[in-house]
Amino acid sequence: MQDRTETDREPRAGEAAGGPATPPPAVRVQGLWKRFGEQTAVAGIDLELPAGKFIGLVGPNGAGKTTTLSMVTGLLRPDHGTVEVAGHDVWRDPVEVKSRIGVLPEGLRLFERLSGRELLAYTGRLRGLPGTEVDQRATQLLDVLDLAGAQHKLVVDYSTGMRKKIGLAAALLHNPEVLFLDEPFEGVDPVSAQTIREVLERYTRSGATVVFSSHVMELVESLCEWVAVMAAGTIRAQGTLEQVRGEASSLQNAFLELVGAGSRTTGESLDWLGGRR
Amino acid sequence: MSVLDAPVGAAPGPAGTGEGLVGVFVRLKLTLLRNGLRQSSGRRAAYIASVVFTLLVAAGVLIGLIALHGYAHAATLVVLLAAVVAVGWAVMPLFFSAGDETLDPSRLVMLPLRPRPLIGALLAASLVGIGPLFTLCLAAGSAFALASGAVGAVFAVVAAPLTLLLCVALARAVATANTRLLTSRKGRDLAVLSGLVIAVGFQFVNFGAQRLGQAGGLAALDPAADVVRWLPPASAVGAVDSASRGSYGQALAQLLLSVAALAALLWLWQRSLVKLMTAPDGSTLAAAGPGREKTGKDGPRVTALLPQGRTGAVMERSLRYIARDPKTKAAWTTALAVGLIVPVVNALQGSGSIYFACFAAWMLGIQMYNQFGQDTSAFWMVALTISSTRDAYLELRARALALLLITLPYTILVTVVTAAVLGDWGDLPEVMGLSLALLGGMLATGAVASANFPYSIPQDGAFKNVAPGQAGLAWISIFGGMVSAGLLCAPVIAVTIWLHVAGLEQWLWLLLPVGAGYGALISWAGARLAAPRTADRLPEILAAVSKG
Repeated sequence: MQDRTETDREPRAGEAAGGPATPPPAVRVQGLWKRFGEQTAVAGIDLELPAGKFIGLVGPNGAGKTTTLSMVTGLLRPDHGTVEVAGHDVWRDPVEVKSRIGVLPEGLRLFERLSGRELLAYTGRLRGLPGTEVDQRATQLLDVLDLAGAQHKLVVDYSTGMRKKIGLAAALLHNPEVLFLDEPFEGVDPVSAQTIREVLERYTRSGATVVFSSHVMELVESLCEWVAVMAAGTIRAQGTLEQVRGEASSLQNAFLELVGAGSRTTGESLDWLGGRR
Repeated sequence: MSVLDAPVGAAPGPAGTGEGLVGVFVRLKLTLLRNGLRQSSGRRAAYIASVVFTLLVAAGVLIGLIALHGYAHAATLVVLLAAVVAVGWAVMPLFFSAGDETLDPSRLVMLPLRPRPLIGALLAASLVGIGPLFTLCLAAGSAFALASGAVGAVFAVVAAPLTLLLCVALARAVATANTRLLTSRKGRDLAVLSGLVIAVGFQFVNFGAQRLGQAGGLAALDPAADVVRWLPPASAVGAVDSASRGSYGQALAQLLLSVAALAALLWLWQRSLVKLMTAPDGSTLAAAGPGREKTGKDGPRVTALLPQGRTGAVMERSLRYIARDPKTKAAWTTALAVGLIVPVVNALQGSGSIYFACFAAWMLGIQMYNQFGQDTSAFWMVALTISSTRDAYLELRARALALLLITLPYTILVTVVTAAVLGDWGDLPEVMGLSLALLGGMLATGAVASANFPYSIPQDGAFKNVAPGQAGLAWISIFGGMVSAGLLCAPVIAVTIWLHVAGLEQWLWLLLPVGAGYGALISWAGARLAAPRTADRLPEILAAVSKG
């Protein structure tokens, strides 16, 4: 499995683009490790994510995607390894990094006893933006994300899709260079998903980078230009979508092959299922 | 053998047939109980301890009730006891519904079960547990306390289980009828505040019992008992009394009333269960209706009065959380109530001292502890915006300022009220100075403890304030902090004592500015000291507060 990663690395995305001065990668991760007691969640990964792309971090549940994103965004301290965002070390230079990133984590709460608008006003002011500017941006974000009608409702009463959207708005408020989204489409209805998608596509067109994690291959295939495949705490492949997909008919099949789950069938153990009732 | 191995077409269980279903549900209840206990040894120990305690109390009550046999006011006491127990059963599920999964009809909705056998099975499963056992002891004791003669004994044998069944059916009917409320956010908020209701209720009961002692004992309750003995389930107990006294007609009427009430409760329960299982649940309805309910109205713009930037934003959020977050609200209400009650009630009883007024500052100062734990895992939003020691300092200072906005006027109010009740105006400046110094000490140690010993506050349940495994941390944080706050105030206390001992009472007023200044100084120093620790430990703090 490892060899595809190596071969894929040769024509690097930055060089393939052929620009005279390659910008620093949006994210560079080297030798990142995290262990929780006996269990190794992330086992020494190296990653280089190009700037200005829509990037998907895919892998099955428990692959270490959330742990990786938490360490990259400074919410979890790694055991070993370095993380750079836009050329700045996340742990040594938090001032430079934190102002450049937006984050939507999975499994962490928001300040849910604020209304949607209050949450944005609070986040924006914590980010050091002037009050009037925050309110202006909040109004536009609430509008675009179709939350204007619910802006005075407490976030605790929001549906999953609305929560993801208000979280996305909070992450975008300070116009970050790199946006990290952990499972942004998980449990989101198709209408909200489409809204989120449109906002993200518009945002990347401006030259910003979006890194999002998902275990839904079709989604990643339709959205991303660049993909990193993770399984059991390691990176199994990274590169442009075409490179990672290789000869396989779809990303789903390439992925199953990469994580070694392609050959498993149900066999004869369920032969009664669908039999005579 | 797993369910997948069962032969196709064979009905896997005794679904629908009454008796088999009872067995299934009783076993399910026992399994859930066992699995719950298997999760942790602490929980097991707590459960065993509570079983032993309940059994001891039940045995004590049983003996006490049996000893009542023949006592003149026994009927009054026993009938009222039955009524109180029934009220307890009706109210309990509203506060503790989360505990019993067999109660949750949404888990049964996909099973091919008819309502009538289901109700029977659920009722049987409900009879398993400590609560029902305790109630049975109580009911048996009550029946025995009143029964005399053969007819009385027959009525007693019927009345005791009937009382238990009525209590359990009442609890289930109330809980099922209120499922929609209980599973909604508002209902869960209410449950968190229930600790407060129980604490206040206890005060009233205590007060009532004292008054009763003065008013001439149980005879005062006889008129109330005469009404209650006709209300089920107390009427079942009343029937035993009537039968023992020879009024068989009245006894039969009371017993039939209880049976009718049981039937009515079961019918109500079945009706709301069927409705629950066939109608869309609350979340669907809420999502379908376009945001009619506007919970978070902008309201009066407090923002305008608060400073700009991080300080104002953090203060505003802190204040909003005191009003809106049930857990924070409960902590604050308790602190505000107790902080006032202790000095003022002591003063009213004539046993107080104006120095007790310092208690208010201390109670409210505790709210500064575990600041980040109060954020729950939403602390990540704060962590992402703290990139320097300066940010951390501003964050801590703003939280302390929000606290001061309430605490400062409150401390002054409590001190003045205590002084007024005691008529001790001379010591007012001195005590206020001490209070402010203590408040400063609490804010300082609170900030340091927040940075060094954060812990999670579980959001469900009124009585869980520390996540499992973090109790030690919470104790270190709060008790270590309070001792340190006392030590920090030592200079001001020393000056107070010195001025008294040296006979320089005319200078005691100086303690007010000195205490205020000293309090401000140490709370500033505390935030300064805690800021670098907070900025360095953001991921560790986030991990510690995300366990709830």
